[in-house]
Amino acid sequence: MQKSIMSIDEATGRYLPFLYPEEMSYWNGLKENKVVLQRCNACGKAWFPIGPACMHCFSFDFKWDAMSGKGVLHNYVVYHKAWMPWMESRVPYAVIQVELDEGPRLTTNILDCPLAEVKIGMRMKAAYEQVNEKITLLQFRPDKG
Amino acid sequence: MTQLAKDFRDKTAVCGVGLNISNGSGQSYLGHAAEAFKLALDDCGLKRDDVDGIICLSFGSDYDRFLEAVGLNVRYSFQGWSHGRFISPMLQLASMAVAMGMADTVAIVHGRQKKPYGKDENPEPWRQGLGPHGESPAYGAVSPVLGAALAAQRYFHMYGGCGDDLAPIALALRKHARLNPIAMRKAPMTREDYLNSRWICEPLRLFDCCQNNDGGACIIVTSAERARDMKKPPVYISGMQGVYAGPDLHNLSLPGLGVAQQKVYKYKPQPKDLYAYEMAGITHKDVDLLMTYDAFSPLVLFVLERFGFCGPGEALEFIKNGRIEIGGEIPVNTSGGLLSEGHVVGWNLFIEAIRQLRHECGERQVKDAEIAQYGCFLGESIIFRR
Repeated sequence: MQKSIMSIDEATGRYLPFLYPEEMSYWNGLKENKVVLQRCNACGKAWFPIGPACMHCFSFDFKWDAMSGKGVLHNYVVYHKAWMPWMESRVPYAVIQVELDEGPRLTTNILDCPLAEVKIGMRMKAAYEQVNEKITLLQFRPDKG
Repeated sequence: MTQLAKDFRDKTAVCGVGLNISNGSGQSYLGHAAEAFKLALDDCGLKRDDVDGIICLSFGSDYDRFLEAVGLNVRYSFQGWSHGRFISPMLQLASMAVAMGMADTVAIVHGRQKKPYGKDENPEPWRQGLGPHGESPAYGAVSPVLGAALAAQRYFHMYGGCGDDLAPIALALRKHARLNPIAMRKAPMTREDYLNSRWICEPLRLFDCCQNNDGGACIIVTSAERARDMKKPPVYISGMQGVYAGPDLHNLSLPGLGVAQQKVYKYKPQPKDLYAYEMAGITHKDVDLLMTYDAFSPLVLFVLERFGFCGPGEALEFIKNGRIEIGGEIPVNTSGGLLSEGHVVGWNLFIEAIRQLRHECGERQVKDAEIAQYGCFLGESIIFRR
């Protein structure tokens, strides 16, 4: 398997993303409160997860492009079990997959929405959670228009 | 189908199996593996040095260390990635190595220790992109249950139903486990027990999830001809197909459900999706029992639709009224499966198929079983025949 690298905030015990070098345009975009993904210069489509080539037409010619940050809640689950101490005060919490209007689906949490109101099909807009000075995490909240 | 594939049918066989399952014995990976190897040798009457091929999986003892520990030199070895979806390719490879004459007799060996998966020691969820079950740890999206919960939720969204409707799966498999002397979870389970079990990752409850345990498994494959001279009746390998993969597939999901980047459509198997049946010269109607990787109960729904036992969206109805129980239309996981027998990466599911076809399963024997299928949501499959 491809080597993966764990990342944990030692002060809080929170799991952090590992910032892979080829993903830095995405992470830098989030720091500026933008959802920046790769868009193909050949077929025009965007994709996720971040990778070396267009997953639609396999062109290697792409640009980093700011997405609308808007989309629809495509799927969700609710964690009741806390797999690590940091989660204990947070359960139950939702993990959602949002389909951006540009197509790619992203896995995040949902902000400002009671669990009972989480529904597949609801409109969502990007939110930005500053975790530390290096990392801003993409989140979503309901888009009430 | 190639001529080679036609010639391959029933030319290799499983001749010996060994299995131990326990609830945290303190034994090492290596200890479990060596013990299972011994059990399988005794099962078929072979000596250690009759084995000239070995296949292991990662997360256990590495193949070289295992061979050193049991003092065996071989002319064929391989080691694969230890996820449930890769046990079929391992058994297929053993069978092909024997058919090609690269080895006479191959033992697949694995040992595992009880260990909570997804905890700190496992970096897999931090893989670039997402983890192998869709994990994204910074969002608390951890543990393999995530993949199955996401798939179940999309299934319910597309076809109706909810977590409660999964009850017949956990109940059927517990019923089977109660007939299995070595099963780990044998306490009686009622529908109320199921519904009262706590949410783990909604829409999945505790009783939708298998548990970890210690275990060791060994499966010995040889030529059909050699197998006929051994202690136990041979179980022939008749047909097989691989692990379907790509962005339209997702671990612990059915194609079409729209987990992560999967396309959304109502999946119905096409002829190219059923190659194992073609190779074995059968259809799903000839299958006497179905063994499937059931680390989480929705995976049983998915395999039924993946291989056309029922149509798209029909599985929740199909599993009712004892249809997947022993004595029903298509008994599933007659040992109790990973959910109730225990988790030995799925090797124990193969071993149950073998034992059913040898007709040595006592109270849980599927009457007159001739053909057993191991098949899963990602499409990988092996057809066994007695």
